[in-house]
Amino acid sequence: MKPSPTMLALVTDAFGGRGGIAQYNRDFLGALAETGAVSSITVRPRQAPDLFVLPERIEQTPARLGWIGYSIAALRTALFRPVDLVFCGHLFMAPLAALITRLKGAKLIVQTHGIEVWRRPSWFQRAALEAADLVLCVSRHTRSAVLSWAAIAPERVLVVPDTVREAFTPGDGSTQRAALAIEGKRVLLTVARMDPRERYKGHDRVIAAISNLVAKGHDICYVVVGEGADRIRLEALARDAGVSERVRFLGRVGLQSLVEIYRMADLFVMPSTEEGFGVAFLEAMASGTPALGLEVAGARDALADGALGTAVSEAEIPVTIARLLAEPKPDPGALAAAVRGRFGRETFAAGVRAALNRLIEGT
Amino acid sequence: MTSGDGRFVVVFNGEIYNYPQLRTELETDGAGFCTTSDTEALLHLYAHYGADMVHRLRGMFAFAIWDQARRGLFLARDPYGIKPLYTANDGWTFRFASQVKALLAGGHISRDPEPAGIVGFHLFGSVPEPFTLYRDIRALPAGHTQWVDAAGPREPEPFSNIAEVLAKGAANPVPAAEIPERVRAGVLDSVRAHLLADVEVGIFLSAGVDSGALLGCIRDAGQREIRAITLAFEEFRGSSEDEAPLAACVCERYGAHHIVRRLSKQEFFEDLPTIMEAMDQPSIDGVNTWFVSKAAKEAGLKVAISGLGGDELLGGYPSFLDLPRWRRWFGPLAAVPGLGLFARKLIGGVAPSFSRTRPKALGVLEHSSNWAGTYLLRRGLFLPNELPEVMDAEIAREGLRRLKPLRRLAASLMPDPSSDVARVCVLESAHYMRNQLLRDADWAGMAHSLEIRVPLVDFTLLRALAPAIPALTPGAGKAALAKAPTVPLPDEIVTRAKTGFGVPTSAWMDAAARDGSGSTGRAAEAKGLVSRRWSQAVLNGAVLTKRQLEVHAS
Repeated sequence: MKPSPTMLALVTDAFGGRGGIAQYNRDFLGALAETGAVSSITVRPRQAPDLFVLPERIEQTPARLGWIGYSIAALRTALFRPVDLVFCGHLFMAPLAALITRLKGAKLIVQTHGIEVWRRPSWFQRAALEAADLVLCVSRHTRSAVLSWAAIAPERVLVVPDTVREAFTPGDGSTQRAALAIEGKRVLLTVARMDPRERYKGHDRVIAAISNLVAKGHDICYVVVGEGADRIRLEALARDAGVSERVRFLGRVGLQSLVEIYRMADLFVMPSTEEGFGVAFLEAMASGTPALGLEVAGARDALADGALGTAVSEAEIPVTIARLLAEPKPDPGALAAAVRGRFGRETFAAGVRAALNRLIEGT
Repeated sequence: MTSGDGRFVVVFNGEIYNYPQLRTELETDGAGFCTTSDTEALLHLYAHYGADMVHRLRGMFAFAIWDQARRGLFLARDPYGIKPLYTANDGWTFRFASQVKALLAGGHISRDPEPAGIVGFHLFGSVPEPFTLYRDIRALPAGHTQWVDAAGPREPEPFSNIAEVLAKGAANPVPAAEIPERVRAGVLDSVRAHLLADVEVGIFLSAGVDSGALLGCIRDAGQREIRAITLAFEEFRGSSEDEAPLAACVCERYGAHHIVRRLSKQEFFEDLPTIMEAMDQPSIDGVNTWFVSKAAKEAGLKVAISGLGGDELLGGYPSFLDLPRWRRWFGPLAAVPGLGLFARKLIGGVAPSFSRTRPKALGVLEHSSNWAGTYLLRRGLFLPNELPEVMDAEIAREGLRRLKPLRRLAASLMPDPSSDVARVCVLESAHYMRNQLLRDADWAGMAHSLEIRVPLVDFTLLRALAPAIPALTPGAGKAALAKAPTVPLPDEIVTRAKTGFGVPTSAWMDAAARDGSGSTGRAAEAKGLVSRRWSQAVLNGAVLTKRQLEVHAS
């Protein structure tokens, strides 16, 4: 039997990183190491601001932020150790990953997320992706976007959906309600960054919708979790709509608070137009809170085409919020179990393993 | 159909002609049959041989077998691609069907365009596999199998290759004197196999050599009652262009019952919307097959033999002469880097009207340095450099990048069949016949619940003739075919067939296309330009029909 292959992972961030992509990389590499499909993984991150613990079979080199320094360090890592598989965690790094793959006679896996593939990338990035042995996409929409500009065999482009962490479970959210002094109100929640360059997450739409509902006498509170410079604009928007005391910006919160905030909400709503997948939908539903999004892009996958959450058109958002708030909150345990069955750790690990088998069998 | 133990489930479109032998073999090995259907043989074969089963099949087929134990789906399509098989995969769900339309009708599949399919249609007049007009729908290529499991479909794997068969044949050539006997034995064997049926098998009969010889062989195979359908045109009645009298003469010779179906211009125009509706992927041809199938249906036939494939197999097309000639005459010049491009730009600038009316003449210097390019030139509806003028320039550029037409044509010639005749045979069989003629025969036949069988498109026959093909001189193949029946075809058929028959349908098509586009008529134009206009009408017509469908559906 051949020894298990070794992997070099080029990532923006993974262990010790913040945000969705870092989380995905941790989930992916962790699942891979756990299955034993690879014998070792060397992770090369560009940043790692937080403390971290590494799983077995994984080592992570010190972060190198600068692009040139990073490239040299990655090449050096590749030259001095065996590399059978190169995992490229972001399209921007694909040319470097393709070069290393070439030099080492290795196989290339490119991970795609969302917004970075909506439009045709540079010539180099496209050529590098087309040279990949496997392209992984978090959603059907991401896959479709990749295939719209890449001339690559569609069989090499697989969907491995995001997964939801174990920490998100149903439970009591009353402490959070008390802390925010919003007992008795109907609580809407969005968890997303507020980046002024993106502005696709849909906070604006929710604020517009609640100003209408409040006018009609609904006792609503809209809780917004996440950080970003666009917050100032959104605060002004809430003021102009006359609902500033009903919109609560909490900024960035710790994991434990986040879990409780998800639990206390009556409805998670994120009418985002350009979601690669939208892992926050899963976190909400795993915490027992129903989720509402737009039936566009990756959100359709996270909401499982309406099987787990609710996906509607932009025009239907206000009435759907009203309808879902009017209904009693569904059984949190059942919703959480359904989400876990479809997007839980085990399903994710099986998906990662099946995808990797494509490459490993072929070697 | 499900296997006895419930492990395998099969869906099958096609005919397995060696079913009786397969059944005997399988039963000797202990398999128990519950039905008399060739479908059941597929289940036993798969259980026995796995994916290698495809090598044992003679026939036209597209099938899928679900393996409950391995939780996977096995798909296969016959070596020539007689039967179609389309798949769609969105990353979550894998779907398959015999028609693109069926996949679209199910909903859930994106209609985003595939530039390679659109460009391919403009280059060849039909959509080249594996592409379709839609990005999310692909054809499983002819002679390929595919495995689909929880992680999705794997890349299709080839199990047969026309070029390889011909290359092997070229390694063991037969003397020219033996060719007629090879052709006779091979064709008779294939016809015999293709007559396996529990319903009456009829034949499409033109005044050409292919169908006439097949009729004679059907007779030799022992079928007494034969009904032959000839499509003739009202406009040609009594003229030398009328095929009916000669076909009647062939029928008389072989004692077949002759049915002549006359087509008028009026009926053509009446049926045109239905034809466009029945067409699966756009095609610039298939109209004649539509009407002859309609006639067969009217006669109550469910199965008909067609002479399709004779020109590809036995060197019947002018391309068998043209391609080697163009390569000889222009190849050396075309090999000079940049000369072709320079000449095109120069003449395009100095005499623009010349490049408009004779677009291909200019391509000779650009494309004839290799076989793929020369073939593209010969068969091409438009040439790559003309595409930006007839379609969105961005789609043209992206489509060419994805389709890689020259590389694709060249790849079909691997391994090199090592003779000019065999090379043209491969190019015509693996492209024009596969993507155009066989597709047309499928939708036009299916629209009339008619199964069209093609004994001259048969891998067993190809293997038998492969050693003879390199030695075929112009006309020799058809002459040998004419002598295949014990009672040979009348000489006048062989002589007359050389000059060919006109069909008024191309003029009608042009009239219809002009009507649709509203363009004003210009006097006598090259035939190629007529096809170009028709292709645009078909593409627009297809789009129109789809819109109508959407309206109905909503």
